[in-house]
Amino acid sequence: MRLHEHEAARLFQQAGVPVPPFAVARTIDEAVAALETVRLPVVIKAQVLVGSRGKHGGIVMADTAEEVRAKTTTLLGSSVRGFRVESVMISKRVSIARELYVGVTVDAVAGAITVILGTAGGIDVETVAKERPEALFRKTVVPPAELRGHEARALAREAGFRGDLMVKIADVLVSLYRAFRKYDALIAEVNPLVVTTEETLCAVDAVLEVDDSALFRHPEMPKDTLARIDHPIERAAKQIGVSYVDLDGDIAIISSGAGLGMATMDVVGQRLKPANFLETGGGITEELMYKTTDLVLQKPGLRGLLINLYGGINPIHEGAKGIVRLLKEKQVTIPVVAKALGNRQEETWATLREAGVIIVTDITTEAAVDALCAALGTPR
Amino acid sequence: MSILLNKDTRVLVQGITGKIGQAQTKWMLEYGTKIVAGVTPGRGGVTVEGVPVFDSVAEAVRETGAEASVFFVPARSVKDTVFETLEAGIRLVVVVTEHVPVHDTMEMRAEARKAGATLLGPTTPGILTVGEAKMGIIPGNLFPKQGGRAGVISRSGTLAYEVGGILAKVGAAPSTVVGMGADPVVLTDLADILRFFAADPGTDFVTIVGEVGGIQEELAAAYIAAEFRKPVIAYIAGRHTPEGKRMGHAGAIVQRGMGSVESKVKALEKAGAHIATTPAEIGEIAKRLNP
Repeated sequence: MRLHEHEAARLFQQAGVPVPPFAVARTIDEAVAALETVRLPVVIKAQVLVGSRGKHGGIVMADTAEEVRAKTTTLLGSSVRGFRVESVMISKRVSIARELYVGVTVDAVAGAITVILGTAGGIDVETVAKERPEALFRKTVVPPAELRGHEARALAREAGFRGDLMVKIADVLVSLYRAFRKYDALIAEVNPLVVTTEETLCAVDAVLEVDDSALFRHPEMPKDTLARIDHPIERAAKQIGVSYVDLDGDIAIISSGAGLGMATMDVVGQRLKPANFLETGGGITEELMYKTTDLVLQKPGLRGLLINLYGGINPIHEGAKGIVRLLKEKQVTIPVVAKALGNRQEETWATLREAGVIIVTDITTEAAVDALCAALGTPR
Repeated sequence: MSILLNKDTRVLVQGITGKIGQAQTKWMLEYGTKIVAGVTPGRGGVTVEGVPVFDSVAEAVRETGAEASVFFVPARSVKDTVFETLEAGIRLVVVVTEHVPVHDTMEMRAEARKAGATLLGPTTPGILTVGEAKMGIIPGNLFPKQGGRAGVISRSGTLAYEVGGILAKVGAAPSTVVGMGADPVVLTDLADILRFFAADPGTDFVTIVGEVGGIQEELAAAYIAAEFRKPVIAYIAGRHTPEGKRMGHAGAIVQRGMGSVESKVKALEKAGAHIATTPAEIGEIAKRLNP
């Protein structure tokens, strides 16, 4: 789950990262009231879960209370890169002498944690990595080890910092690492970390993405995980416990595994157009398949449904009952093709056939797509 | 021949008294797996499918000589249980559990390396040595009775079943099918599993079933180019994956252009692997390699 900037900033601040004074406003009055604690001049930032807000009008400056009122009025309720602005963060503006980058992330290569210090900040770190790799300095830490003060200072020194500034940067790195570990983060990033004209450090952005699988041990995290999903069918899918990704085509797909789902999309995509990716995971029940079938059929303009299941951990014979119940209740008329193999496959086929589902017993997904093409009258 | 697991391997099932643990223990026994013990803390003394259950791994190992363990324990207990299992001396662990926190996985990975153990997963369907034994949830009835000479390594579960079946259909039955897990951080790298197949005289060629996300395939390509001498067939799922969308598996996401099908295919092709663009093509290539 990606946190809003103000949520991340609050947690970073608690961990010891220097953050300029800020307040959050959901209304124009709240924005003006914020000036009692955050002194002018300020930056007003749209709280939307998307990058490059600055380039798309989501970050504006205000020097007077009037400007704060006017600019908040414009931002609230508007949309930045397709995301509706429900609140703004009002931060004290700082005088920038130099911009740096600091980030902590899961490094799939090392299977460990990478701490990154960049001597160029404020721009996308991937762009820096490509165009100026010499500006990025990295340190790998294997958990449960902490990032130690002397290791952080060595990294800052390696990046060319000396004296007081080196020590301050190292402190920020240690604090950020601590927040990354404490909140089971996938990424914790400050871009840019500003060196002010007074030689102090200030985090003027905050990115924190928390591992969804670890939310069970973080009661302090926001509870509106579902509300943060933009697409209505994707949100409904999350609610019933399956993964759905919306695509452009008109052939609905249900698969009992992510790899199988992607392969099904690959094969369908050779001759037809997939309408979605859907994978059930290992928790198939009659009820889950009833809801899942209902879910994928919500998209308008579908021409067919392809069901691709394996009964390993999944009781597909139970799932079949749910599919059939939905197809009958909703009187579905588009062709439905199912390939369902594994434990108790014969029972599964018998149940599905009863509702007019076309059964494919060959192991290849190609055979299922062939059957669907035949039912649709699509030439080979 | 096989890697990691055969009909004589003495297997322990952790979380054996849960609903899934019980059901899968039955399937594993029916396939021929030599399950000698189960562990569920607090349930020591009962039996499941005739298998004695113990309170701790140390006790199970002492009483039964268990040497490999398969996990059906809840995500929140996986890390603790892995540490217990390694401490008891077990050096092959299959973590079937999904949704394990990645910080836990990183700690387990470090501990496994220290111990010199092979841990598969998380989110793996496990290992199946055709005609001998299986640890995990791979359905045995999709494979022929007799094992063959094709090694299979897959990041995904259900897709491994399809590929195993396709290979068997063209007369190139698998030797061992290994699920390596679908999370962004895995406990054992693809290249390390390839090393086992390199050393197995019963495996003639290996099929890699990859998917978008992560860089396991790219790392394996470097190893293949440097020292792997058996033919490799590779299929990478997810050509139609839009950037920034997570395709079910925690690891299956193309982010900032990294982990794409193109980068994996390019790396593996350069290393000399035969690339299949669909699962069925794996069968056609295998037919050519295995006349």
